[in-house]
Amino acid sequence: MSFELISNLVAAFFTLCIFSFLYKENPLYRMAEQLLVGISLGYSLVFTYERIFIPYVWQPIILKHNFVLILPCLLGILYLFRFSRKLGWLSRYPIAFSMIGIGFSIPMGIHAGILVQMRQAMVPLENVNLVLILIGTIAVLLYFFFSKAHTGAYGKFVELGKWYMMIGFGASFGLTVMARISLLIGRIQFLVIDVLGLMK
Amino acid sequence: MNFFERMQNLDRRWIYIVVALAIIIPLMIPYNSDNVTSPPTENLYQMIDSFAGREDRAVLLSFLHDASTMPELYPMEIAIIRHCFERNIKVFALTFLTSGAPIIDYAFNSVKEEYPDVKSGVDYCNFGFKPQPMALVLGMGDNIANAVNTDAEGRKLESLPIMKGITNYNEMNLVVEFSGSTAGTYWIYYARPKFGVNVALGVTAVMAADEYPYLQSGQLIGMLTGLKGAAEYEKLVDVFAAYRDPKVDYRVKMDAEGNKIIPGRPFGKEVLNDESTKKLINITTQTKAEFTPADYAAFVAKYPEQKAIFDSLTEQEKDKIVIDVSKITPEQRNQMGEYAYRELNKLTYNIDYKFKVARIGMNAQSVAHIMIIVFILLGNIGYFIQRAKTVEK
Repeated sequence: MSFELISNLVAAFFTLCIFSFLYKENPLYRMAEQLLVGISLGYSLVFTYERIFIPYVWQPIILKHNFVLILPCLLGILYLFRFSRKLGWLSRYPIAFSMIGIGFSIPMGIHAGILVQMRQAMVPLENVNLVLILIGTIAVLLYFFFSKAHTGAYGKFVELGKWYMMIGFGASFGLTVMARISLLIGRIQFLVIDVLGLMK
Repeated sequence: MNFFERMQNLDRRWIYIVVALAIIIPLMIPYNSDNVTSPPTENLYQMIDSFAGREDRAVLLSFLHDASTMPELYPMEIAIIRHCFERNIKVFALTFLTSGAPIIDYAFNSVKEEYPDVKSGVDYCNFGFKPQPMALVLGMGDNIANAVNTDAEGRKLESLPIMKGITNYNEMNLVVEFSGSTAGTYWIYYARPKFGVNVALGVTAVMAADEYPYLQSGQLIGMLTGLKGAAEYEKLVDVFAAYRDPKVDYRVKMDAEGNKIIPGRPFGKEVLNDESTKKLINITTQTKAEFTPADYAAFVAKYPEQKAIFDSLTEQEKDKIVIDVSKITPEQRNQMGEYAYRELNKLTYNIDYKFKVARIGMNAQSVAHIMIIVFILLGNIGYFIQRAKTVEK
């Protein structure tokens, strides 16, 4: 029996265990679920040791004598004081240090997520698509402007924003269905083609 | 109790069975459902294709996902890697997730089986798992070899042949991120505004609605959406890259200065709609390569030393010369050489299962969607009929 066959059979067994939940809750499903959690944790522990601790901590400090790296290591270790009531305050130092990333991401995020999008909405309205985007953007933004009552002509325009959102939610739902079905197709392809070999 | 009332009270397990059958049957009996390609997929294909054979261009693939989203993202990944190998394009890969590293290995190894000449460190390079995404994304803008240091095998990047002509995003000027969650954030937020790198995404269908604004605003040059996007890319690779004209020699040649000369291929809607290329789109399992006498003569002329072996394999069918690839023995395959064998195999238009996964999946997807729409319609009709009856009472 080849390794591939054994691994496929094991994967098929656990796939069916998970699918058995569709009939009703049962011990096989629970076993597969708990195993998944345990294996994921074990895998990430080993991987973290092999691919992070060894190449980025052990090798540079112990083998290459790059002792300056001890400082960020100590800073990282301070996170562990989170579990101590007395010394928990020490964990705030690495958290404060990591705020550099947050500070960095705010201007870049505003640029990419808001300014560029606004600029695109303001370009000459050359086609119907851009006109629809402009109307939709304004209508949806006004829908969330609660300082004015949604009545009269203003209310009707704001109602348009609600319709835009409904269409958006519909599109998201359709895409979600597509994604879930794709995942199911992937598993059934595995069972039908890889395990049972019903197609070349 | 009428039909609609029964539908309203239907046990959910019957619905599961119907959906399962709607997926299993089209998988076991595949048919050639039409798969129209969309501009975001075509744009990405064309940009990658424009890098063909160039020493000073490369594509970076970022695998930001784990095994849970593989059914949607993995077919995209192998389609793009296959395209790069087929067209002699330098391809790099990295992941910021520990669980993404084995997926990179799996993807490269799966495609590499079809391309025996492709070598790690020469034609492709796997950076593997890298921590500190922000620092890395910004660092690569100055110098990739300094920022990344070593590849997944621990080799110094600057010593690898693939790095010839590749310094930073000026050359590695396309990043394709595959993600099932916050897709492309690092590249769209940091690399695109600061260094002007081209960014494209391969995302799960759930994520697509969130990413469309970036596509609309031009921050993304292309996007593959779920299994549909993967199926579209698979189709384009088959039509434009895997196709072989018996008369054309597709081997990579060198000019006097040592630059690679890659046979060019036009891209256009008319090519996709051309009758002669439509048969490439079909999902076939045929094993016979068919030639007109002129095409066969042209094909054999490219491999004069293997002519005797080819001749021994030919059969006459009506006005066509036919070679059944499944009848080639391992000895004959050795004698004709791997390159000639693969050229012949491609003329059968048969595509290995691993390169048509998404397209076969799209058949099942179509049937399942129709079933779901039918259920929703029946449920709604039943609901309104019941409501009308209640009002009557």
